[in-house]
Amino acid sequence: MSIPQEIAWDIVDPQAYADGGRVDRAFAWLRQNAPVEVAELEAFDPFWVVTRHADILEVERQNDLFHNGDRATVLTNKEADKKVREMMGGSPHLVRSLVQMDNPDHMNYRRLTQSWFMPQNLKPLEARIREIAKSFVDRMAEYGGRCDFARDVAFLYPLHVIMEVMGVPEADEPRMLKLTQELFGSADPDLNRTGKEVTDVSEGVDTVQSVVMDFMNYFNAITEDRRAKPREDLCSVIANGQIEGQPLGHLEAMSYYIIAATAGHDTTSNTTAGGLWALAENPDQFARLKADPSLIPSYLEESIRWVTPVKHFMRTATADAEVGGRKIKKGDWMMLAYPSGNRDEAVFADPYRFDIARSPNKHVAFGYGAHVCLGQHLGRVEMRVLWEELLPRLESVELDGEPRRMAANFVCGPKSVPIRYKMH
Amino acid sequence: MSEPFKTWQCRTCGYIYDEAEGAPLEGLAPGTRWADVPADWICPLCGTPKADFDMVEL
Repeated sequence: MSIPQEIAWDIVDPQAYADGGRVDRAFAWLRQNAPVEVAELEAFDPFWVVTRHADILEVERQNDLFHNGDRATVLTNKEADKKVREMMGGSPHLVRSLVQMDNPDHMNYRRLTQSWFMPQNLKPLEARIREIAKSFVDRMAEYGGRCDFARDVAFLYPLHVIMEVMGVPEADEPRMLKLTQELFGSADPDLNRTGKEVTDVSEGVDTVQSVVMDFMNYFNAITEDRRAKPREDLCSVIANGQIEGQPLGHLEAMSYYIIAATAGHDTTSNTTAGGLWALAENPDQFARLKADPSLIPSYLEESIRWVTPVKHFMRTATADAEVGGRKIKKGDWMMLAYPSGNRDEAVFADPYRFDIARSPNKHVAFGYGAHVCLGQHLGRVEMRVLWEELLPRLESVELDGEPRRMAANFVCGPKSVPIRYKMH
Repeated sequence: MSEPFKTWQCRTCGYIYDEAEGAPLEGLAPGTRWADVPADWICPLCGTPKADFDMVEL
């Protein structure tokens, strides 16, 4: 048996993620009826879809048995995969960041920057992050009670923080945001480079590649600058870093910048926007948070679970294996469906309820195992500080129109959250 | 006088185990010393084994 075509289509179709309910229903059906099962769609090589929380953890923790880099790490159709391999000398990846690496490279490259993102090393940054958060809260007050929280606050605040950490000039932040949205929003005409529906796969790959090239051209110049004049910033670490006594490979260095300059803010932006959307839709939860600000950390964890900005990663079995009672063959391709794991009824009571006090809340939004999100502590600090500044001043908030989600099946969240609010 | 509480950090993800706070959601009461954390305990954030934690000063 394989997954019914309409269910399989719903978990790959970017529009299903824009809809929200469509993809939730598909994953709920899979968890109930076929928690580890093969999707066979004409345009794609067959792939397993892993939908239960426990099975996702089981795959994620076995990094030798389930590789990131052997096949595409992000769901890619056959035609796009062929084109990427032609462009990249046989590799299925347009970039080679931590996400596409396995050991020993993964561990070596991760160690290069890991200390930057450890909680104890973020503490000295917190005062500066708070200044940035305050400036956005002040800006919200100046908007006079109406704004698009996604576009006016959530997209810009984490962007500013990570660009300061990297050492990218403030003047270049709009460019970094645009490139990020063109990359992750490549299937969404509101965000992608062409402004059109992607109907031609080859053209779609070319467009994504042109975005990647723009990133690379930008960071080539940064590399030259930081090699000549190293500073106390993350770009200097990447530009001057060494792996086993050798400088980083060019593709690897460029990919390192790109992942920091994209995933380093977009995921936090999605969560911030989606978390406020959920509060606006659940006034009882907003009132509870107002009454008890000590719930901010658990509100944030619930926002992360609720939004789950990374929708999947793919893994490839390096040997025959068993997951959830199903036999996986060496070379099989597997989708880890994080939004599904985070709605798993076996782990989360009433999983479709937004509960700011949910405890425990062991979501898998940051992944698990050796590839667990490097920036998770930074994301949490950014969101906590923003809410510590915003909550005391925010008296009420409600939706001021229909929020909209990006059409994308990899990294995505709200693209517009219009709100009306009172604050002082 | 008893020894001051120490903190331990997961090498993979940076999770911090503070002996003073314990990890009540993981079944470790406040004040549980690292030596008393079961050997098969794993990092709640990423699943790394206890053996791959380092003592850190915060």
